[in-house]
Amino acid sequence: MSTLTDLRIAAVGDIHLGEDVRGQYRQRLAGIEDRADVFMLAGDLTRHGTLEEGRLVADELRGLPIPVVAVLGNHDYHSDLQYEIAAELRDAGVVVLDDEGVVIQCGDRKLGVVGGKGFGGGFAGKCASEFGEREIKNFVSHTRYIAEAWKVALKEIVADERVVLSHYSPIKETLEGEPHEIYPFLGSYLLAEAVDTAGADLILHGHAHKGSEKGMTPGGIRVRNVAMPVLGKAYAVYCLTCDPGCA
Amino acid sequence: MEAPQYVAARVQQALAEDGRTHELGIRVDIRGDQLFLRGQVSGAQQRLRLGEVAHETAPDLHVHNEIKVVEAHEPGEDEHLD
Repeated sequence: MSTLTDLRIAAVGDIHLGEDVRGQYRQRLAGIEDRADVFMLAGDLTRHGTLEEGRLVADELRGLPIPVVAVLGNHDYHSDLQYEIAAELRDAGVVVLDDEGVVIQCGDRKLGVVGGKGFGGGFAGKCASEFGEREIKNFVSHTRYIAEAWKVALKEIVADERVVLSHYSPIKETLEGEPHEIYPFLGSYLLAEAVDTAGADLILHGHAHKGSEKGMTPGGIRVRNVAMPVLGKAYAVYCLTCDPGCA
Repeated sequence: MEAPQYVAARVQQALAEDGRTHELGIRVDIRGDQLFLRGQVSGAQQRLRLGEVAHETAPDLHVHNEIKVVEAHEPGEDEHLD
């Protein structure tokens, strides 16, 4: 049971909605306002990243009684319509983060959310470097750019609690269950390093359907893989207990 | 005769790249003339489409579609992070 000082975060990723399941996910969100103060979506909201699917997702999320914050995932980028999909979601009242932060007022508490899609590259000791062919350099520098943006946003944001919302994973632990060979395409330690440097209370990500729910960064920040196939439910709820005196 | 590993890899690529499916993370195993698909997807039609694309890519094999549709059950107990 939640106490008055708990900040309740409902979260899910990889809902992969399409026309054949229109309306079904929305039914699962009935009563979410009784369970949570804010709803976060960790990317891969669509299957093919088409505008039609983006509109469908917007319809499913429109008018929810609690704030909704989302990032996009690699599927949502597939048709090169990520900006248009984000615009559809914003029109439906969803806050879409693209390597930036937002402060959500939850009662008398300020929840800072920083995030974006994230990217891959692998994990410390077994990762790609900015060396050699231009294509490899571009791959790694893209992740490095994102990690730096998150670090700056986390340092600048003024909030009682800070949550990072990503699609790609910042750690290996929540990938357990996936083939080791594809880890570099599932996340990057650069994301965790940035968050550990700037500080946060929780990191949420998706992307790894066969991964594990719970992990922790080297700096001790809790990480949760909220991909729907991992959760096996419409969303999970995480309660952040407020530090004494912060409310 | 083509090595089954290459056929399985081609089917897996087709499932990821075909415009009807775009599904990553589906496991493809071939034993003799039997092809097995395993994984989880968000809807029953997506499962059917994956079976179709696999069959078109490897028409000589018998496709066993063992893909499951993800069940979005009611949220369970909250987790308190203190």
